[in-house]
Amino acid sequence: MNKKSRLLTGPYLIWSIGFIIIPLFIVLFEAFTGDNGLFTLKYVTDITWFVNLKSLGLSLVFSFISTALCLLLAYPLAMILAEFGKGRSSITVLVFILPMWMNSLLRTIAWQNILERNGVINGMLTALHLPALYIINKPPAIVLGMVYDFLPFMVLPIYNAVSRIDRDVINAARDLGANGVQTLFRVIWPMSLPGVISGITMVFVPSLTTFVISDILGGGKILLIGNIIEQMFTQDSDWHAGSGLSVVLMIFIVISMIIEEKYDSDQTTVTKRERRTN
Amino acid sequence: MKKHRGIKMLYLILMLIFLYAPILTLMVLSFNASKSRSKWGGFTLDWYISLVEDGAIISAFKTTLIIAFLSAFIATILGTAACIGMQTMRRKFRRLILAITNIPMLNADIVTGVSLMLLFIAARMTMGFKTVLLAHITFNIPYVILSVMPRFKQLNRNTYEAALDLGASPIYAFFRVTLPDLMPAIFSGFLMSFTMSLDDFIITHFTKGAGFDTLSTKIYSEVKKGIKPEIYALSTLMFAAVLLLLWLVNYHPWTRRKNDGANKKKFRALPGAAAVIVTVLCVSGLLSGCGSSAAADYSNPNSLFIYNAGEYIDPDLLTEFEDETGINVVYDEFETLEIMYPKVESGAAKYDLICPSDYMIEKMKDNDLLQPINIDNIPNLKNIGESYWETARSFDPENKYAVPYCWGTVGILYNKTMVDEPVDSWSILWNEKYKDQILMQDSVRDAMMVALKSLGYSANTTDEKELREATELLKKQKPLVQAYVVDQVRDKMIGNEAALGVIYSGEAIFTKRENPDLDYVVPKEGSNIWLDCWVMPKSAKHIENAEKFLNFLSRPDIAYRNFDYITYSTPNTAARELIPDEDIRNSEIAFPDLTKMSDLETYSFLGEKEDRYLNSLWREVKAH
Amino acid sequence: MPEKLIDLKNITKRYDENVVLDDFSLYIRENEFVTLLGPSGCGKTTTLRIIGGFEKPDSGTVLFQNKDITDLPPNKRELNTVFQKYALFPHMTIADNIAFGLRIHKKSDAYIRDKISYALKLVNLEGYENRMPESLSGGQQQRIAIARAIVNEPKVLLLDEPLGALDLKLRQDMQYELIRLKNELGITFVYVTHDQEEALTMSDTIVVMNQGYIQQIGTPTDIYNEPQNAFVADFIGDSNIVSGIMIRDKLVEILGARFDCVDTGFGENRPVDVVIRPEDIDLVDPKDGTIEGVVTDVIFKGVHYEMCVMSNGFEWIVHSTDCFPVDTHVGIHVDPFDIQIMHKPESEDEKAVAVDE
Repeated sequence: MNKKSRLLTGPYLIWSIGFIIIPLFIVLFEAFTGDNGLFTLKYVTDITWFVNLKSLGLSLVFSFISTALCLLLAYPLAMILAEFGKGRSSITVLVFILPMWMNSLLRTIAWQNILERNGVINGMLTALHLPALYIINKPPAIVLGMVYDFLPFMVLPIYNAVSRIDRDVINAARDLGANGVQTLFRVIWPMSLPGVISGITMVFVPSLTTFVISDILGGGKILLIGNIIEQMFTQDSDWHAGSGLSVVLMIFIVISMIIEEKYDSDQTTVTKRERRTN
Repeated sequence: MKKHRGIKMLYLILMLIFLYAPILTLMVLSFNASKSRSKWGGFTLDWYISLVEDGAIISAFKTTLIIAFLSAFIATILGTAACIGMQTMRRKFRRLILAITNIPMLNADIVTGVSLMLLFIAARMTMGFKTVLLAHITFNIPYVILSVMPRFKQLNRNTYEAALDLGASPIYAFFRVTLPDLMPAIFSGFLMSFTMSLDDFIITHFTKGAGFDTLSTKIYSEVKKGIKPEIYALSTLMFAAVLLLLWLVNYHPWTRRKNDGANKKKFRALPGAAAVIVTVLCVSGLLSGCGSSAAADYSNPNSLFIYNAGEYIDPDLLTEFEDETGINVVYDEFETLEIMYPKVESGAAKYDLICPSDYMIEKMKDNDLLQPINIDNIPNLKNIGESYWETARSFDPENKYAVPYCWGTVGILYNKTMVDEPVDSWSILWNEKYKDQILMQDSVRDAMMVALKSLGYSANTTDEKELREATELLKKQKPLVQAYVVDQVRDKMIGNEAALGVIYSGEAIFTKRENPDLDYVVPKEGSNIWLDCWVMPKSAKHIENAEKFLNFLSRPDIAYRNFDYITYSTPNTAARELIPDEDIRNSEIAFPDLTKMSDLETYSFLGEKEDRYLNSLWREVKAH
Repeated sequence: MPEKLIDLKNITKRYDENVVLDDFSLYIRENEFVTLLGPSGCGKTTTLRIIGGFEKPDSGTVLFQNKDITDLPPNKRELNTVFQKYALFPHMTIADNIAFGLRIHKKSDAYIRDKISYALKLVNLEGYENRMPESLSGGQQQRIAIARAIVNEPKVLLLDEPLGALDLKLRQDMQYELIRLKNELGITFVYVTHDQEEALTMSDTIVVMNQGYIQQIGTPTDIYNEPQNAFVADFIGDSNIVSGIMIRDKLVEILGARFDCVDTGFGENRPVDVVIRPEDIDLVDPKDGTIEGVVTDVIFKGVHYEMCVMSNGFEWIVHSTDCFPVDTHVGIHVDPFDIQIMHKPESEDEKAVAVDE
């Protein structure tokens, strides 16, 4: 592999400048200029409008809650999978990844059926003479949709991190007198932290920016910041305003990237890669 | 650690139920004879049969596979080449490139999507297959690079050097020694890209154009009007195929024997992945024999591009027209006019005929987006009743641009078993008794109209005070509203999901047919009368084909059949005479006596600024 | 005689259908340096893990100071383990690693501080408190792993091939270090290794294991000089193992020649295995030897020459400080007490043992 082989990077370099860097600059440009082409901060500061601010707030609250729930559900799951999967084939893990092979929009739509007033859950509840559950088109349904859609992104990196922990390190903790709980909090948890951080960003960013889940499970009653940006582009064709809000959104994404970068190592790159894979 | 096994198993099972419940639901729905999602109508395999004939779904499926395969393939080549090139680079430079690579992975899909959309618009590219492919390649390359790069680190450089030492040229050594070593990583990068592309919705949503749908965007556009059961059938098939393959790869003795080795896991994944792809491609090849194979190429002179609202034409008529004339029809649907407009305005999507409503026609005309239609070339237009031409004159004074297609009113659909008082006023939509039982239209003008009319104002007001009042009224209503939906009102009302819904009169006939408990009323405060017309955008190129199509549609027999299918009132008086059922022919719902209804208004175009203002008010309501 | 500290009784352990330990019994006395020695898969590590509590035997009991601890989890056992690959906590500093057990046991900060500096001094790594494990070399990490275990003042230290990952020189240094530690601490060491030299250097008692059975227990000298079967003989040091016939007491016939020996009680004209260490063979003038041979190969090994001598179809390995060039005719002479007579293996198991190596 001589130096001439460097040229092989050329096409990708041009590609990434053309399709990654320049588009982002166009967004920045649109965000900071008005219809007259002059510099303005108007569109970026549009975020302070009540409606926009409220949606951003809602998005943040929902994504925090769903990220926390994902972590809470995924961690034990990842531990159990790592334990059961050990030595055996990884079929158990596969079973938990398989749902990702069905179109995610469809799976989200299916939750409509399950949660509807005359849906699957309420059908069962009424059969059992229990009070019906009305969460469709309400915040809990959206959070549920987020947790459902993004849970695998949390499980995979944590599973990878946990299963990479040398069995003997855990044995060493037990050997030194730590009971199960102490081992979990003093050894397993801190060692799986890169996976956890990776999982958190993998769940947090898409839940913060989704417009699909709120559309499908919110009954149009709940606007997230993603919905507003989407509408600005597809309905208002107001690219300045849409870009302005996108730039604000990017600030949050950059913050989460920086947090992740602090834990960055090859390990996180690997888990990142595994984020959506199977 | 072996303790609590029972609890762990229980937890696993609960999580499995959580993950698989929606999938099971979808599978069950694929066998549901009832078209409505919320009703079980018995077991059927019909959807699997009609799936094969559904050109739109099959072509979306094919497009999805083609895009996924091509984008993954190109991304794999570009990405792998980049990785090779980076090996001899200085670390600083390499890190920079890897940082750029990370951007699409960590950035929100929506931002990536809009940024690419802005790029394509700035470059004046027509949105469609090409732009989606470019976008998919862009977000796929990082998966390849992040898969291949780590492999380079594990690579034993000595083998490459040994090959050189044994006299191989660098290129020979690379292809015979290094590349085979990288192959598993390259392949898993390819597979990852393929999967990502297959499932992507958001980025495709922003970069796709007219007449172009992947499965995801097809599904999304159907969310608003109810998913076609054929989609459930297709995804059930896809899921079953993947399941079968994985089972074969993991448990079948034939593959099992081969895979007994130290690197079980790695090698097991590979043939599995290969098998998945190969089969998927084979299936697509098989199916492509059945579906129509014409790509949406606007430059084809023998084609006609139509953009219409969802479920707004009898699809058989399209085929019939194609058979009769040999013209290839590219038919595309929009969810709302507000979504349609920017696509046409930006020129991102090219059509020959569009079917918007009154106010939107005015807006398009004012913005110089329309060209006149030569009525002399369309003899069958004589069948359109004069009163409808007159209504059309409210937005098209010389009847130059718009050919009436359907018309109707907006009113309240209610369930007689759930509402026990007479329904004759919009005010019932503010009745606390019906909390969570009300469905509102998710469209600015209709929602505003309801509020403005109940306040006694004009539906076309631009008075800020009046609009503000209406906005506040809608906000007050919001806690009572179960959902803001478009065509789903129909399904939900049929399925007894709600008691009251705002709906177009055309849907009333259909819904009453399906659920006799439903009834439709135009409230006494007045409402909107709307008229949807065919218009020809300025950029239309297939003018003659479009004229032929309009002439076809205006033939009495065709117009009657279309009415029978979509149940929206037809302005074609000759067609109305063909309706055999007297009740319908003289129905108050389908053909109300306009002279008796004083407060019916058509929407007029309020102006760009007002539109944005209305949109922002509507967002305010929805965010309330 | 100090009392039994650990007593393993009739331990059986299977993994799937694979029997790793079969009715295995062993006791370890207080203050003893016991080494479990054997090839990989012989069950030595499993034995250690059963003592440590990381594995539960399928049957049998583990007694610790005469108390049954078979079902006791590792954190309740008064012993500590040094793992093969150190198993340091990668996210903690050296000091935190060492303090781990003490903190679990809620020792005071001052006590912990003292212990850390004491332990680091003991393993010659003063001043490493705030380093992270990954910044240390393998040998240093190993010493930290030992320090982390011994600060808890266990009655027994279990060491699972602790030097396996180190290079030769370091391994030798660490051997002396471990002996020194053992003497300073005065506790019991149970040591697992497949390296016979390590076992001979450090142990008070060596337990040679193969295929889940104990082959021989004894002091290093016993094991080396008087292997009880061909497996032990072969596994410990180089050996010439040759079939012979015990003519009568104190006389054995090998390769057609009769050798005097000191063994008795094998009966008359019985087939036996004869073990002769390479350094115990004297090469002499052909006419002075018990049997004749030709030198076929000579390698200089530093302290001695290693020579192959062919006689009557058997290739002897001989260590000698004198060099006999290739093709020299030599005589072979062995002092009677250097000839070790063993029974031929009788059971299938024993045969398997012999074939295995």
